[in-house]
Amino acid sequence: MDMFANLAMGFGEAFAPQNLLYCFIGVFLGTFVGVLPGIGGLATISMLLPLTFYVPPTAAIIMLAGIYYGAQYGGSTASILMNLPGTPAAAVACLDGYPMAQKGRAGVALAMTTIASFVGASLGIIILTAFSPLLAGVALSFGPADYFAMMLLGLVAAATLAHGSPVKGIAMVLVGLALGMVGTDVQTGQQRFTFDIPQLADGISLVALAMGLFGVAEVIGSINRIKAGRSQHKITMRSLMPTGKDMKDSTLPMLRGTGVGAIFGALPGAGATIASFMSYAVEKKVARDPSRFGKGAIEGITSPESANNAASQTAFIPTLTLGIPGDATMALMLGALIIQGIQPGPRLVTEHPELFWGLIASFWIGNVMLVILNLPLIGLWVKMLSIPYRILYPAILMFICIGVYSVNNSAFDVLLVMIFGVFGYVMALLKFEPAPLLLGFILGPLMEEHLRRAMLLSRGDAMVFLERPISAGFLAVTAALLVWAAVALMRQNRARQRAAALAE
Amino acid sequence: MKATRDFEDIIGGALMIAGGTWFALYSLNYNMGTLRRMGPAYFPLSIGVLVVAFGLIILVPALFRAGTLPRPEWRPFLAICIAVLGFALLVDRFGLIPAVLLLTALAAFAERNPSLRLTLVLAASLAAIAVLVFTMGLGIPIPAYRWSL
Repeated sequence: MDMFANLAMGFGEAFAPQNLLYCFIGVFLGTFVGVLPGIGGLATISMLLPLTFYVPPTAAIIMLAGIYYGAQYGGSTASILMNLPGTPAAAVACLDGYPMAQKGRAGVALAMTTIASFVGASLGIIILTAFSPLLAGVALSFGPADYFAMMLLGLVAAATLAHGSPVKGIAMVLVGLALGMVGTDVQTGQQRFTFDIPQLADGISLVALAMGLFGVAEVIGSINRIKAGRSQHKITMRSLMPTGKDMKDSTLPMLRGTGVGAIFGALPGAGATIASFMSYAVEKKVARDPSRFGKGAIEGITSPESANNAASQTAFIPTLTLGIPGDATMALMLGALIIQGIQPGPRLVTEHPELFWGLIASFWIGNVMLVILNLPLIGLWVKMLSIPYRILYPAILMFICIGVYSVNNSAFDVLLVMIFGVFGYVMALLKFEPAPLLLGFILGPLMEEHLRRAMLLSRGDAMVFLERPISAGFLAVTAALLVWAAVALMRQNRARQRAAALAE
Repeated sequence: MKATRDFEDIIGGALMIAGGTWFALYSLNYNMGTLRRMGPAYFPLSIGVLVVAFGLIILVPALFRAGTLPRPEWRPFLAICIAVLGFALLVDRFGLIPAVLLLTALAAFAERNPSLRLTLVLAASLAAIAVLVFTMGLGIPIPAYRWSL
């Protein structure tokens, strides 16, 4: 079998001492920032992007990916112990995890979320391994028009499926596309929107944009919000042991959660957070006694945990095989690949097999490391929750500033971080989501290139997008999404008006 | 805070209309090209127009519904921005240590009652970590301190 030979090669690559080390650094940091509220995987990955210039591409991507799925493991810890989610996806774990802790079952909850995470992630990796090469094979026949349509679908899906209002989501994608235009036009060499500032000739620095939007803006918003506290729950090795009933009650929910997560992870724009909320809803629906939820039902934590971990693995499918990132973190991952000179897309699997299969193999290794980090060492993470934020945020700011400076040795980029920090904070105040903006920023230049190429090939005939079946299919789905979003919006507006009328 | 209008979306939409208009007009400085051979202005102009359109979709309905007034937290907002700005201004001229010290000191004002002792200890340890990890550990070429005006 071809796949097993490839996997064996991948494991050979992933077990290289350097890759093993970076994998460990990645999952360790991921757990760390996942546990701590007020700093997420996204900010951490953007902080470490500059570091990856100094290491080979495979090691760099292995580390960044480790932060991403590692944060999914750690996220539920603070939810369970302090009712404060460490990551957005872990917000669901508060619902039943915190009541479990209040009943003195914090240890069991922590252990079960780790087991559920491992189950979800493992099945997610199997799905990733099986489907990626197939999908990449299909995508090889895509022309520029198909690519353009696919990216359009990805952006619209990301905007409409994400939190908040779909209109605002699309608006943010558009702003991202606009920011992506800054720099030198590839086809004509024309400088666009650079205002004769030499540092802008290569475009706005991705690192500066991401750190401003997700790092600085998040720090500003968290300072008054996060109060660290010592958890009153003592976590001993004995208290971690789940009962046989816990395991039995969780088996099916974990499988259901994995299914939900795997689907939502692979869809562009959905991702881990939506997956965990969806799987919670599913559990509540299939439960014989839905009233137990919110009072410490074990399915309420195991199913969403499996879902968000499965999603964080299958999210790599469109990113690696199509070059279409599903969420902002994946967009950063793509950015890291592009910076390293690797063009993501269907050819990645065949042209850089050592990277592709090495990364997949590293997922297995990383997940085993995470189980070890999260079960025997859980006490360490619990202690970290008592670090006050007033110590953390200056350190976060320092890493942001030095990190961004070191990319080009440019104080101008640090200035950009500040500007985008202001921008991101204003956006957060006005309830605009920053994630679709980052997606638009990364995909913008690629979309423009494919659009121009498609129009050149069709001699200026825009019908080409509807004549090619693949592109027409993508556009049809895009249109359906837009209609659905418009209907949902109108319904929401009407409901709001009715509520306002009732209040008066 | 309750307000008679949905000011979040009114402000957001207005910002988009202003930004989109500017972006579209500015892109006219470049060559439009034709549909077959798109010039550098084609794509940005279309985006600018779409940004304005979505700005309107966000702004107009918001004029007719109640909403909340956004309340910025000025203290952390200003303190953090000035701290990052301070780092940017100092790092090229004076090096890493002074920049990190200033960054930590200014960032401390984001808290309502910053503690002097904690800030001093934190600033010193962060400066030490910065030099150990970045300059010595990773070999990133930022000198620990220098004097060039």
